[in-house]
Amino acid sequence: MGEPRKTHVTFRNVAVATLIVAALVQLLGNAGLFNNYYLHILAIIGMNIILVASLNLVNGYMGEFALGHAGFMAVGAYAAALIALKLPLPALARLPLSLAGGVLAAGLVGYLVGLVTFKTVGDYLAIITLGFNMIIVNAIQNIDYLGGPRGLTAIPKGTNLVTVAVCTVLTYWILRNLVDSIYGRMWLSIRENAIAGELMGIDVNRVKNLAFTIAAAFAGLAGGLYAQYQQFITPKSFDYLKTTDILVMLYLGGMGSLSGSILGVVFYTLLMELLRNILGIVAPQLADMRMLLSPLILVLIMLTRQYGLMGNREWRWLLPDEKKAEGSDA
Amino acid sequence: MIETAIQQIFNAAQLGAVYALIALGYTMVYGTIRLINFAHGDIFMLGGFIGFLLVTLIPGLPVAVMIPLAMLLTAMVGVLIERAAYRKLRGAQRMSLVITALGVGIFLENLVRILVGPQARQIPAQLPNKVLKLANGVVITEDKLLIIVISLLLMVILWIFVNKTLIGTAMRAVADNRDAVQLMGINLNLIIATTFAVGSALAAAGGIFFGQAYSIDPYMGIDLGWKAFIAAVIGGIGSIEGAVIGSFLLAGVEVVTVAYLSSNLKNGIAFGLLIILLLIRPNGIMGRAELKKV
Repeated sequence: MGEPRKTHVTFRNVAVATLIVAALVQLLGNAGLFNNYYLHILAIIGMNIILVASLNLVNGYMGEFALGHAGFMAVGAYAAALIALKLPLPALARLPLSLAGGVLAAGLVGYLVGLVTFKTVGDYLAIITLGFNMIIVNAIQNIDYLGGPRGLTAIPKGTNLVTVAVCTVLTYWILRNLVDSIYGRMWLSIRENAIAGELMGIDVNRVKNLAFTIAAAFAGLAGGLYAQYQQFITPKSFDYLKTTDILVMLYLGGMGSLSGSILGVVFYTLLMELLRNILGIVAPQLADMRMLLSPLILVLIMLTRQYGLMGNREWRWLLPDEKKAEGSDA
Repeated sequence: MIETAIQQIFNAAQLGAVYALIALGYTMVYGTIRLINFAHGDIFMLGGFIGFLLVTLIPGLPVAVMIPLAMLLTAMVGVLIERAAYRKLRGAQRMSLVITALGVGIFLENLVRILVGPQARQIPAQLPNKVLKLANGVVITEDKLLIIVISLLLMVILWIFVNKTLIGTAMRAVADNRDAVQLMGINLNLIIATTFAVGSALAAAGGIFFGQAYSIDPYMGIDLGWKAFIAAVIGGIGSIEGAVIGSFLLAGVEVVTVAYLSSNLKNGIAFGLLIILLLIRPNGIMGRAELKKV
């Protein structure tokens, strides 16, 4: 309690610093002064942060168990790719319009899926969301217009590290304010006790679906970024394994913590890359071992730290202003 | 016309038998510790590969020895996994348990891939596979028939085990109320370990039958595991009869889809069926509704 500690580490300052660093790194990279491999890893980290943080809204803050996030990423990626590929747009308008299309398409599909899924709870919800992930991937594989199993190629390159950084910062700004809003409180109350929430007058299904739709829309944003960054997409990139990856990073970082989502993604991605490089140096055939080590690490973390690295705790700069007075030890 | 129909029924019965052997493990584990054991599909895969290795490493091993031996070895792996990864998390929040199971599954897939390589293999012919001619020009191979018969036999043995023996009664008691059971002096760890052992052994039999009829590869557990899991949910997860009914139903739908529509659609249709069914009967065909406690 008492006056908040004076600090320059505020949300705004962190956001500005992130954007400046991203722009600098991108410029250096373009000039050939920054290793492109590192640039690539930074961009991937940014996209994964959007995915993981948005899923945290449903799994962490609301306490539901959704398992199909990669499916919504696929919807966003394909929608954005189609807009960028097929519509005759000026280069300047292409990126924002295609990203908006991806967000809208994924949000819409998320809303419709949510209407169906939130008739069930708990384990059944997990099963149905995963089912939708598989149906979406399966449907894309069977549509020739979308390239079938071969996917879409030659998507115009619209995304670089700066775009990813802008989108990540924007995502965090929105999520942070949402969690602090009246809806955020409703989601928390659903997590703690849905029946009590209902008795307090919360329209549980509607509020749940809102979180789900928002999470899906952000997955669509990440998908749109990914499609225009990678310049090719196949249905396989968005299957069950991608969802598992997202879940691993989410649970590693910690539920109900936006700070944890950043930490989980950075930690896991760097760990995987380090393992790949270190094992690759020792012996190339050992590089495969990292696929054995990563699930082992996951199991070990679950056995020792059930709530992830940052479960239900938050870095001070990510807290809304009035809560800073109460402080968080993290 | 009628011949093809009968032919398809046999195909569906064979596939349904394999699904049922996996689905039973899902449903038993869910019944006792409320865990969706995402690693179970990979235990099925592992069982298939253990069978494959037994056949290739010990030439001339009779099939009547190979199948029980593979089942025993896989059961040991199942118990080991429960002991190492799940037991400590039994009282923890459910999601950590589910994520742990996901991790164990990925670990098993990659372990087998690193050990034996990613390519698909077929378990060398073990079951007699003479072609039998039934009336009206319907043909069926002996191995297909044997797979169906042995699977049904295993299911009957399981049913007797769960319903008529003391340890089976204890298993059902654990499923009903885990806390009260401990007060009655039942060794909970033993019962749960038995559940994993039995489930894994059945999955191993399924893996061998599948590898005999089709082929096995390190990643097959994902797809097949999901199908079997859907079957268990359709039947009403936690119910043994339900798992069997759901498996044959799902296999029937799949065979019809492949025969009359397109093989590319079968996964989509399987999940579509699941979603529709859950919306009509949220607890599956044989499932009971859980009471909401206020």
